[in-house]
Amino acid sequence: MSENDPKPDGGTASQSSSVEREALDDHPLEWDEPENNRKADDERQSVSRPAEKDDDRKLVTGEAKYTADYEEQFPDLAHAAVVRSEIPHGRVTAIDTDAAESMDGVHAVLTPWSDGCPDAKYTSAGQSYPEPSPWDMNVLNEHVRYVGDPIAAVAAEDDETATAAVETIGVEYEEYEYVLDPEEAFSEDAPQLFADEDVENEIVGHDYDRNRMSNIEGELGDVAAAYDREDTHVHETEWSTIRQSHAQVEKHTSLAYTDEDDRHVLITSTQVPNHTRRQLAHLFDVPVRDVRVTKPRVGGGFGGKQAMVVEPIALALSLAADRPVIYEASRAEEFQAMRSRHPMRVRARSAVTDDGDIEALELYALSNTGAYGSHGMTVAGNVGSKPMPLYSKVPNVRFEADIVHTNTPQTGAMRGYGAPQGTIALEGHLDEVARDLDLDPIEFRRDHYMEVGDLDEIAGMMGGEGAERRIRSCGLDDCIERGKEAIGYDEIEQPEAEHRHRGIGMALSAQGTGVAGDELGGAQIMMNEDGSFHLQVGGVDIGTGADTAFIQIAAEVLGCDERDIVIKTSDTDNTPFDYGAYASSTTYISGMAVKKAAEDAKERILDWGSRLLDEPVEDLDTADGEVYSEATGESVSLEDVGYESVYGDEDREHILGKGSHSTDESPPPFAAQFADVTVDAETGEFEVNKLVVAVDCGVAINPGMAEGQVEGANHMSYELAVNEGITFDDEGRAEVADFDEYDFPTAAESPPIESILVETHEPTGPFGAKSVAEVPTNTVPPALSNAVREAVGVRIDEMPITAAKIRSRLDE
Amino acid sequence: MEIEFTLNDERTTFDAGADELLVTALRREGYTGVQCGCDGGVCGASKVLVDGEARMACGMDAADAGGTEIETIEALGSQDDLHPIQQAFVDHFAVQCGFCIPGMIMQAKELLAANPDPSEREVREAIDDNVCRCTGYQKPVEAILDAAERMDGDDGASGQRSVATDGGNPTDGHERGDFDE
Ligand code: FES
Ligand code: FES
Repeated sequence: MSENDPKPDGGTASQSSSVEREALDDHPLEWDEPENNRKADDERQSVSRPAEKDDDRKLVTGEAKYTADYEEQFPDLAHAAVVRSEIPHGRVTAIDTDAAESMDGVHAVLTPWSDGCPDAKYTSAGQSYPEPSPWDMNVLNEHVRYVGDPIAAVAAEDDETATAAVETIGVEYEEYEYVLDPEEAFSEDAPQLFADEDVENEIVGHDYDRNRMSNIEGELGDVAAAYDREDTHVHETEWSTIRQSHAQVEKHTSLAYTDEDDRHVLITSTQVPNHTRRQLAHLFDVPVRDVRVTKPRVGGGFGGKQAMVVEPIALALSLAADRPVIYEASRAEEFQAMRSRHPMRVRARSAVTDDGDIEALELYALSNTGAYGSHGMTVAGNVGSKPMPLYSKVPNVRFEADIVHTNTPQTGAMRGYGAPQGTIALEGHLDEVARDLDLDPIEFRRDHYMEVGDLDEIAGMMGGEGAERRIRSCGLDDCIERGKEAIGYDEIEQPEAEHRHRGIGMALSAQGTGVAGDELGGAQIMMNEDGSFHLQVGGVDIGTGADTAFIQIAAEVLGCDERDIVIKTSDTDNTPFDYGAYASSTTYISGMAVKKAAEDAKERILDWGSRLLDEPVEDLDTADGEVYSEATGESVSLEDVGYESVYGDEDREHILGKGSHSTDESPPPFAAQFADVTVDAETGEFEVNKLVVAVDCGVAINPGMAEGQVEGANHMSYELAVNEGITFDDEGRAEVADFDEYDFPTAAESPPIESILVETHEPTGPFGAKSVAEVPTNTVPPALSNAVREAVGVRIDEMPITAAKIRSRLDE
Repeated sequence: MEIEFTLNDERTTFDAGADELLVTALRREGYTGVQCGCDGGVCGASKVLVDGEARMACGMDAADAGGTEIETIEALGSQDDLHPIQQAFVDHFAVQCGFCIPGMIMQAKELLAANPDPSEREVREAIDDNVCRCTGYQKPVEAILDAAERMDGDDGASGQRSVATDGGNPTDGHERGDFDE
């Protein structure tokens, strides 16, 4: 992407200081919604029913196959291990591989200088093309920029041999100065990580003299003028967030081989099969058609697998060793060298009148993108473009972010994608302002937040065409009311002990659903002669239940039993194109493609029904596995239609449906979070008694699965509030090598979470659905910070919230 | 070295390497329901029952399995005939990516055998070293409490185990006992 070619993405900003306000009729309130999309609850047969998760029986019996479970199918499989930089910054001058190469059982050794090592630059970010991330790294790196940067790789007959071989490899470096702190890195005297010529596909606002990968900004109205007004007070607060690890229980794992047709096959744990295929084709300089990426069950993604991290190493080694290779990262590598959430400092500023009118609102983020720039600009964009639109009634709004490199491990996409960092700043700030002005924090928000009919210009503030959106569904009021009731907002009782205080804090959040104008999902469906169906979808189920949602959507259209649909997803040889599982797009974008494919097939089914029943198509519909006539009550089974269509008269045909979907819309889901906390004012110790989160996700395609998504996201959000995250020694080496050191809240340490689905109807989504799984990731840090403030009057603005910090604030 | 033990109710002989971990040996022999999530001993994904006690198969040498009775997830129900704990996980939407679930279910089985009527706190403590990144533990805890009620004191063995009828996916773990040929 060049500087003149901004991505049309709500969060993928270009550098424009203010936006051209588009004609409102580009975003009409009335949405031309097909009739069948808005079914009353009692008309739906599959959608909004708690259908059993399609893969659950396999998962609970241990029959499901994840990438590593394919090992047994490859008797000559080699295992990979990687040599990683021991220094934070420098250049590799020599690599001694002799001992490794002569070891029994070692099949291949690669260094940056090997013929078999791809030498093209790329980004590990699994994004659309052209990627809004810089191409700034190699598969194996000579210039190393963090402890953990990959330098060399080995394939050997088993793990132990590969690991032992790695230990014999000696690396000599020329060491450079390094910088770990983002504020220090962002100065002209800091050691420089990149020169312009090191990077292809440079991103808008880059300034490598100051280690800046990108700068983005956008403004609506005139913020400075609002600060200058006599009737406003300017409030400023600053917030910082941790480096959170995805810590998916299944590590990054990838198995590569070249098949009998000389095509490169990757069985891999990924969220983005199609992007991975394209990126591998680029790195290995082969046509896209010669790469096949297929995803079995995935043991968790959360954005960490929206990155091509292990695939190129597995494939390069497999080509060099001439046999299949599996690369499974170790848990220590996961923390040191895979991806993490961008830690940030976010400043919030507002101009508010005495009556509590917010005249201006501003966020500034300094984001630490680590050694490389993957997802750096887009995540930072979302710090503003996801939370700020909540307050669409504020007339003057500004957002800016600087994204800087440090010699620390690389960050990437993570559930919430910048919105958690923005949400804590915004929701913590507004809470503080309300308290300053002695206003009720909820009513203060209510006066400014968006409602149905609002044109959200803030999402489009940074220049994303199509990112502006009309709000057509919004359940914020209900989320607040139901959340208040569930947490017992009005009935709170103080503990008996005088030094213990209880408080409830709340926070709101908005996200998007898909990337406006920059996504595509594809699906096709084939009818079998027994009336069953094969549904093929490019969309990616990483454990969220997406496959089941696709089946429910198709079953709803076709009027068949869910069990009569066999689904195949995410295999680039066998399923249509899809951008992948990210940006909360799966149900909305890929699900709509499924709906269209099913409708296409249904049209043919009704034709055949008409022929078999001898009745006009207009009178026919499908339900309960039959085509029936509303006029006469006559019916024919789908099984008969399936049979007749392929074995019947000379007009026989295979009934096939296809659909693909892309859209400029990205409707926000909403959440209201409540946290109930008891704090000991003597020690600072606190207990989170309960978390309640109410989410407006449109129509929940499967309420049981949607609740699970909400609870899991909220748990991850709780971790963001109370866990230290990945910490480093003074050379940027992760102090966390396994789960016990990461120290996230366990089952016994976690507060109960109550999830509430507040259903609205989003006319642009399949059967009224919008997204659900990201928005509850954003809200616990601010709600908990606000709750502590309510309980004992001190503000924790630096995550994590700990007893020691509360105590020291209390002492001040 | 040859190790003889009882695996999922069948006498079995493994040929295991001297330092081989139990998890590696089990997975090599096709018991891939036993998962590996960490560098050893802290995530619970590899839990199996050893003489009825939930243990991490990555924290135990295969050699030490000699003479014991080991149960893996494959010993529980089949897809068509789930064990009550498995059924409860399905019914409560307690499974997302599923990677941690076999270990979690084996841990639940140990708990319910010792304490058929646990409190919520006891369930949470029992699964305290089973890392799940997807669910927030809320639904697994509900599922285990519900399973306790469903089993109501019996051990949940469903007597007759059936073989899946979905054409070529026999899901009965007992068929896999003989791999010492
Ligand atoms: S793999 Fe055994 S406990 Fe993590
Ligand atoms: S369900 Fe994914 S780790 Fe537990």
